Amino acid sequence: MPKDKKKEIVGYRQQSGKLSFSRPGSGGKNSFSEPRNEELIPESQGGEKKQPWGGHRHDELITGRVVGKSTSLIDSKWKVTGKAKYGDDIRLSNELIGKIIRSPHHYARILSIDVTKAIELPGVISIATGQDASNKFGVLPVTKDEHAMAVDRVRHIGDLVACVAAEDESTALEAVRLIDVEYEILDSIHDMKDGLNDSNEPIHDRGIYHIGEANIQKRVFQEFGNIESMETNSIASHKKNWFFNGVNHAATEPHAVVADWDPSGRLTLYTPQQVPHYVHRALADVLEIPMHQINVHRTFVGGGFGGKSDPFPHEMCASILARKSGRPVRITFDREEVYWINRGRHPSHIEMNLHADQEGRLCGIQTDALIDGGAFASFGHVTTYYNGVLHTAPYEIGAFHYTGARVWTNKPASGAMRGHGAVNSRCAVEVGIDDISEKLNVDPISFRLANLLPPNSATITGFRVTSIGMRECLERVMAESGWKDKFRKLPLGHGIGIGCGFFISGSGLPIHWDPNKFPHATVHLKIDMDGGVTVHTGAADIGQGSDTVVAQSVAEVLGLPLDMIRIKSRETDTSPVDLGSYSSRVTFMNANAAISAAMEIRNKLLDATSKITGAPLKKLVIGDRRIFRKDDPAVGVSYLEALHKSQEEIGALVASGAYRTPPMGRAHKGAGAGLAPAYSFSAYVAEVKVDIETGQTKVKKVWAAHDCGKALNPLAVKGQIIGSCHMGMGQVLSEEMRYGRTGNLMNTDLLDYKIPSVHEMPEVVPIIVESNDPEGPFGAKEAGEGPLLPILPAVCNAVYDAIGIRCDELPITPDRLYKNIEKKCRKLKITDPLDLPSPRLELSELQLKLEKRANEHKIRDIKRRNESKIEPYHNGALFGLDPTIPPDEIDDSWKVSVLPSEEYLQNPRLAGRAWLHAERRHRGD
Amino acid sequence: MPKGAIGVIKMRMPPFKLHTPNSLEDALEIAKSIQSEGGDFDWIAGGTDLLPNYKWHLNPKDNVISLAKIDVLTKLSPTHIGAMVRIQDLAESGVTHPVLVKSANSIASVLIRRSGTVGGNICLDTRCYWYNQTEDWRETIDWCHKCDCGTGADCRVIPNQNTLCVATYQADLAPVLMCMGAKVHLISAEGKREMPLNDFFELDGMTRNKLIPGELLTHITIPKDISNWSGDYQKLRQRESWDFPEAGVAVLWKKENNKLKELRVATTGLESIPGYHDELASNLIDGWNGKASISLLSEQIRKAVKPVQNTWYSTSYRRKMVRVLTKRACEGLLEV
Repeated sequence: MPKDKKKEIVGYRQQSGKLSFSRPGSGGKNSFSEPRNEELIPESQGGEKKQPWGGHRHDELITGRVVGKSTSLIDSKWKVTGKAKYGDDIRLSNELIGKIIRSPHHYARILSIDVTKAIELPGVISIATGQDASNKFGVLPVTKDEHAMAVDRVRHIGDLVACVAAEDESTALEAVRLIDVEYEILDSIHDMKDGLNDSNEPIHDRGIYHIGEANIQKRVFQEFGNIESMETNSIASHKKNWFFNGVNHAATEPHAVVADWDPSGRLTLYTPQQVPHYVHRALADVLEIPMHQINVHRTFVGGGFGGKSDPFPHEMCASILARKSGRPVRITFDREEVYWINRGRHPSHIEMNLHADQEGRLCGIQTDALIDGGAFASFGHVTTYYNGVLHTAPYEIGAFHYTGARVWTNKPASGAMRGHGAVNSRCAVEVGIDDISEKLNVDPISFRLANLLPPNSATITGFRVTSIGMRECLERVMAESGWKDKFRKLPLGHGIGIGCGFFISGSGLPIHWDPNKFPHATVHLKIDMDGGVTVHTGAADIGQGSDTVVAQSVAEVLGLPLDMIRIKSRETDTSPVDLGSYSSRVTFMNANAAISAAMEIRNKLLDATSKITGAPLKKLVIGDRRIFRKDDPAVGVSYLEALHKSQEEIGALVASGAYRTPPMGRAHKGAGAGLAPAYSFSAYVAEVKVDIETGQTKVKKVWAAHDCGKALNPLAVKGQIIGSCHMGMGQVLSEEMRYGRTGNLMNTDLLDYKIPSVHEMPEVVPIIVESNDPEGPFGAKEAGEGPLLPILPAVCNAVYDAIGIRCDELPITPDRLYKNIEKKCRKLKITDPLDLPSPRLELSELQLKLEKRANEHKIRDIKRRNESKIEPYHNGALFGLDPTIPPDEIDDSWKVSVLPSEEYLQNPRLAGRAWLHAERRHRGD
Repeated sequence: MPKGAIGVIKMRMPPFKLHTPNSLEDALEIAKSIQSEGGDFDWIAGGTDLLPNYKWHLNPKDNVISLAKIDVLTKLSPTHIGAMVRIQDLAESGVTHPVLVKSANSIASVLIRRSGTVGGNICLDTRCYWYNQTEDWRETIDWCHKCDCGTGADCRVIPNQNTLCVATYQADLAPVLMCMGAKVHLISAEGKREMPLNDFFELDGMTRNKLIPGELLTHITIPKDISNWSGDYQKLRQRESWDFPEAGVAVLWKKENNKLKELRVATTGLESIPGYHDELASNLIDGWNGKASISLLSEQIRKAVKPVQNTWYSTSYRRKMVRVLTKRACEGLLEV
């Protein structure tokens, strides 16, 4: 290539519009295919690359272009140059500013709302109250308990009462002042334990499905395995009552929305939503118009983390005000309002019991989780299950007993937050394993390595687990952190701890429909003469890089550079329905859909090439913008030539791809909760320093290994791991939604809600483990939520290693830890905490047994992941049962039960008390 | 029920008239004329304290007089610190005593230190969980004594009293300057006056200090012999950035011939005003006995402070930590 031409290419990405348009048929700027990176060419295309974890169905689609290469997110330039338009950046001409009148009371009946003074204020255009929208909505179809604005009563401070649209913000705020609301104050509930009791005025009424007269929104009872003998077989037990304070997502961007009705009577809602489809449905319900009359336009999202995944009342308010006034209405939250709408992690009381037998096996996990839902259901139905079922792996267990209950209280609603429902109970389990290992005098990593489920197995609750990289995660962090030289060997105040995680890679069941009827995700492609590929997808990029991953998938299959892929993912008008960005489903489901759509185009291009060159289809491969004979690369055509050939009869090429989950799971009530087509695994080691005199904990370094199947974009995966560490460190050390003695949320701002600063952030060493999931796109699984789970227990366990204190309340703020230090000093009759003993470990005989078993299991696991025909493996085999049959079908002592026995109800645990009430329909009223 | 600060249009930032005098004389003149018309005003220096409070409608005034253009207030030397010296400049100047540098560097974040001033930090408004909240939030607790919006509301920290405000003074420079024996210089239309910083504060979260309406702090002077003093400042907080001190202890001492001659201790973040513990420290000089004296001093300081529950940490923890902070601040005393 002549030198001057090369010059032209350098830096063209930085100069928008400077790139001259390629001559059609030239195959882009470079008419020759680039030499391919030999290491990335899989066996299927004549390359040397072996898959260490076995082959993958997408192997033959790999063109060596973008998958597996660190790529900056395709929308990052918009963000760093300030061109990205977030919710509040949307400015429509003639817009009005909306403000919300919120409840100053925890719980009150609305007697009257007088808007006469406000409506007379010059500049006020419209006012709406609960009477304008009486239909209920909610993110889950089974628990719709929200209104756009309070219809009869307000349920927490900050609950929506009315809203007003005015010419400018100050007029709107003045109008808010002029609206008089008369309340009758009701007795409010703040302690979630009170929610279990009968109440004169339950916060919601679920009709015949109401549980007693209590504030119990959801209750779960599950028993699996050999419950009878878990305690008798145990030689070491762990029991701890935890309290986890609630935390908020604290995304950088506060919620904002713009609603606009066009002259034809259609509504466009601009909103930074994680799940445009659900708000689409909810708007149709509340506004009583068909869905096709609504276009939900997702703006750039300044962080979601689950906090923007519900359909929100303010989105309804803006739409109602815009309809009433005939003008666009914009509502932007103050930070305080973000805390009032909340949907953060549930404050939870969790009782965790673990039992280990003489073989060092986990013969039982008993969990009781009472979670504080706040005033609305949100995702709570699912959260209640997740607090239990998501800790039935990665360990093989003898029995699993779970009671969970979610209650309504007069607080801002809890909901889904990164690591939904799994984070708190995972922390409790992993700390329990640390404790049990100590009681058994074994290394906690060895204990874990000897109790892992193998690849392609079923958990005790019947989840189908495919690829597992847990063992490799543990081995990597153990080696890289220098675990063996540090654990129980560091001086007082210095500690190291391990924690693991397990998370769903996409919720297996779509909330709104039968997975057999509609797919989870659909992607459309369109390619015209210019060769660029337009991708229509409904997946919501919330900063996690979903646009990038779809672009990468398409680019990889078609052998194109990323800048030839354009993602149109913003509007429900043009995007196929996608369930949105939650439950870590996007990469897994949407990229799979994108790959199948791209395969359709790929086949057309190969056909065309075959027609032009006469080469047999089987011999053709795709390289960089060129399709050629594998055995004779000189025989081939450019991408554009092939494209134009295939366009001859039909014009622009279009293709559609979809993904649906395979049938899986068992049949008991609640079996669907926690089902996923794949699961991610992670193991972190944290090293901390505790200031013993002040109780201040500083995380020094974190080694973070995450099994994401295959890192499609290693840069993004590392970002997710580091970001998760930051967020999890907040929950474990400093972040909490703190309620004062009057029940008020005291810290509704970012000065008093203590997100760790850069000074608190340790060095994080991200370690990517690639287990090559058979069903994931190119082998990928999730990396957005799972990486958050292990940091909490890793820090808790490291604090124990440092000073021998197990905390039972998060966050471990210095004052809480100091209290425990004082308690321990009193117990040991020590006056100066600097004289506290450091925990030490003398390995027992069991250690050798565990190491031996871990080695055997390692061989078993490698064999299982490479076998072409895999025998079933059900949880229970470790306890001597036939692995090929579910244990409850062969052994009477192993059972599956989802209703508490009379005996249990004699002495229920905390959340288990929810079962003392009878549902109204069963009471006969 | 009243809603909102009376007579103020409810905007994010309440409207006020900004005055930008070029000289002290002009500033005092403007202040006087506002007062003579029965108006009310606030001085504004860096604005990092005042403006967030205004945004939350915490006692906003109709007039704000900026000191930004008054050059005479920015003078900085080893013995003279102008009220308008930015905290970051104080820390980076090279002429500031190292203990003062340490406390200055611990304030908020670099961004805030570049705006915030020494005078502003000394005159920092007191803070409280029940006060530093938005207007909507405060309405839900029916306001509080410090910003009662005309209702005569009770104190929310110590219920059933509305005479004394117990909001906490959470500024870092004052305890160090107190130990340094700094003097504050005030000016008003009536003339100039000066007083030791130790006498400047007044025990009430609302009155806060001896400034009379129309008066302002022009500068601080520091005794010449300060370079002979050593010491330390220790601060308790959740995060190493942004957070106000939950407790702060400054200790300064002077040795002669390796013998302790003078010892001063001051605290912040624990009460409505910073505490200067003159006698507790000086009583120990005579029989000074290294570690044992330090423990005694630490225990006495702990007993001397009476925090209330209105910040992030619990009061019992803050008091206990005062002991640790004092001990740590004294560590330099053990060096031979």
